[in-house]
Amino acid sequence: MTERIYVVFARKNREDPLHHVGSVHASDPELAKVYAWKTYDEERWFEMVVAPQDSFHPVNRSEIPFSIHRDPGSAEGA
Amino acid sequence: MTESAADLRSPDQLAADTRQELRDLILALADSKRILGIRYADWVLGAPELEANIAASSISQDEWGHSRILYALLKDFGDDPQKLEHERQAADYCSIEALDRPLGTWPEFVVVNAVVDTALSVQLNALAASSYAPLRQRVQKQLEEERFHAGHGAAWLRRLGTASDAARAATQSALEERWPAVIHWFGPDELGAGMKAAGLIDATGAELRNRFFQRARPTIETSGLKTPRLDLDFSVWNTSRRRSNPDGPDPEAVARARGDRNRAFLMD
Repeated sequence: MTERIYVVFARKNREDPLHHVGSVHASDPELAKVYAWKTYDEERWFEMVVAPQDSFHPVNRSEIPFSIHRDPGSAEGA
Repeated sequence: MTESAADLRSPDQLAADTRQELRDLILALADSKRILGIRYADWVLGAPELEANIAASSISQDEWGHSRILYALLKDFGDDPQKLEHERQAADYCSIEALDRPLGTWPEFVVVNAVVDTALSVQLNALAASSYAPLRQRVQKQLEEERFHAGHGAAWLRRLGTASDAARAATQSALEERWPAVIHWFGPDELGAGMKAAGLIDATGAELRNRFFQRARPTIETSGLKTPRLDLDFSVWNTSRRRSNPDGPDPEAVARARGDRNRAFLMD
């Protein structure tokens, strides 16, 4: 079964914008939801959503966004 | 549902036999969740991927939290929660028999997560509108957390059931082994009829078993696994402990549940 990276977004309050809080590896969206909720449990989130990383289309850059899974040696923000 | 005029605030408002039944049910849930937390905790560093380790850790903590809350409720029934948590032997435990042995493999973890955890949630859900307010008010948060436990169990069951033949066979075998204890756990068909009549719970043993089938069967069968079949046998069933086997969980798990090692560090 193929593992994908799912990007996690959340907000603490209804009026807050969703922001990127991290990502998880999972074999399907249902597992991604559980992993996201259990991994990023530092707040009492009002809302959390996940989406496959490859569903995002870069607008102004060529690389995949949310590139937190890059090699440790690569430059942050490069 | 928060407050109602028909609410029962104290077990003293119940008939003696109904009060005892409710006390036994709360203890069975508390003990099952305590032992379940231990079984999950064994996999905190052994799950197949980092995220599953984190989930096992978090789910384990949820179960321990639930059990503490449930033990505390028993004070109003005349029990001493401290003694219940820290001073009992294995043969005193009322935990579900499906947790008597450790989870030796990841498929066993997944089956327990998908099936045993679901059975406990079906029972808990039947208390969500209970006339006994102190219990009802503590059930909702537990059910919200249980939603994620069920999601984890179902997703992993599907993953193992649709992976290699060996993975599916190991999962089916774990399911066959734990299944009988799970379907017996709801008790004889009429178990809980007195509590149901008093509005403490909304289903009897037969109704709960049916609800469990309704939830578990699709999860099992869409995972490419077979729902085991067997006849119910309550000939040696102990209603108070909700078990047929009198022994209880393995002594190592009970020592951990009691916190024996933790107590060795306590100072007066």
